Amino acid sequence: MVSLGDREVKNDGHDLEPIIVAFCCNWCAYASADLAGVSRIQYPPNVRIIRVMCSGELSPLVVVKALVQGAGGVLVLGCHIGDCHYQKGNHLAKKRMTVLKRLLDHLGIDPRRVRIDWVSASEGDKFAQIATEFTEEIKKLGPSSLEAKSS
Amino acid sequence: MIEEVRRLAKEWLESRKVDAIVGLRKNNGHVAPYLFTGTSELDSLVISSHTGDIIPKYSMFNKSQRYKKNILYLLEQKYPKTKIGVIARGCDEKTLIELAKRNQLDLERIAILAVACTKEDAINCRCPTPYPTRIDVGKRVEGVSSDINVEALLKKNLEQRFSFWKHELGKCIKCYGCRNVCPACYCEDCAMENDLWTKMGELPPDIPMFHLIRWYHVADRCIECGECEKACPVDIPLLTIFKLLRRDIKELFDYEAGLDTKQEAPLLTTLDETPLKE
Repeated sequence: MVSLGDREVKNDGHDLEPIIVAFCCNWCAYASADLAGVSRIQYPPNVRIIRVMCSGELSPLVVVKALVQGAGGVLVLGCHIGDCHYQKGNHLAKKRMTVLKRLLDHLGIDPRRVRIDWVSASEGDKFAQIATEFTEEIKKLGPSSLEAKSS
Repeated sequence: MIEEVRRLAKEWLESRKVDAIVGLRKNNGHVAPYLFTGTSELDSLVISSHTGDIIPKYSMFNKSQRYKKNILYLLEQKYPKTKIGVIARGCDEKTLIELAKRNQLDLERIAILAVACTKEDAINCRCPTPYPTRIDVGKRVEGVSSDINVEALLKKNLEQRFSFWKHELGKCIKCYGCRNVCPACYCEDCAMENDLWTKMGELPPDIPMFHLIRWYHVADRCIECGECEKACPVDIPLLTIFKLLRRDIKELFDYEAGLDTKQEAPLLTTLDETPLKE
């Protein structure tokens, strides 16, 4: 399990800098993040990218573990439906994350902290846009109930 | 009703419709699954009932610790040419179907002696469908449609829900009873025993990781039997979350576990095969 490291700005309610973990699939989303970098498109530094081979490889437990270990939000990015390198990986990911979100909702964790989206390798701008939007949203949500527990 | 079950079981055994019947036996006050091979023992046959205080400590769907498979699977493997009768209530039948769907047993070789539960049992189990699809013994009664605990949880906001679960799950003593008794849990290597997800042997358990592993795992297999909640020594309201999950799966995929062997589990298929409704 990847450690999220120390938080840059301590959570004192005002200038909260949440950590966003972005699980990017190797074939599309990671390449789009790469393209965003190469094209010098700005996106918030809160986003920490973890490369996985496929969004369908990702166990929902990994997503929860990231939240438990202090991530403010988790992005799951994969190829567009129909373009999966492994045929149906993103279909599975979509279903899993939908069920997980419902489960988190019942548990009392805001399901908006998990977002699944599709970006193709040529959509560097879309990657940056999703990252910016999501970071803004998480900042608005504030610290999660899971974090409040640990402090 | 139990007389009727015994009579039918005797009939099945005598006519060689089945070679043996798996049911519950009460022996010295203890209730446990038993393989009835002769008609002489049938007097000790009982049906699990929460009202009648006949509560087995483990069911025929529990994995044996040694072979990591359920009893019915082991019986089928050991006696390849026999036909096995199983005394099943509504929930047991759903379990059989769900396990057969996931290759945990062969339904072709099992004859189900289907028993419908009484109204009292249904209320005690908070069961919405206390009857099997085909009934041999008993009368079909309607189950409980709404659940107080579910409604209460849905009324809470996110913060209240989290503090509710934090309190409830904090009581957990990690006995693994819910997992052991769960008919839908059949993995040979359990993620709840994996240090990657949750530290073994530490109390209190990681909230919510420890419980969430099983909740998510059985999300599309749970048949809402409520055994986990009955097994829990500290009364964590587990059935509440599974009722909600089953409702969600129905909403999202129009799928209910344990109804049809031909229906594929939605979390294993593509979006084209089982569309997602949001």
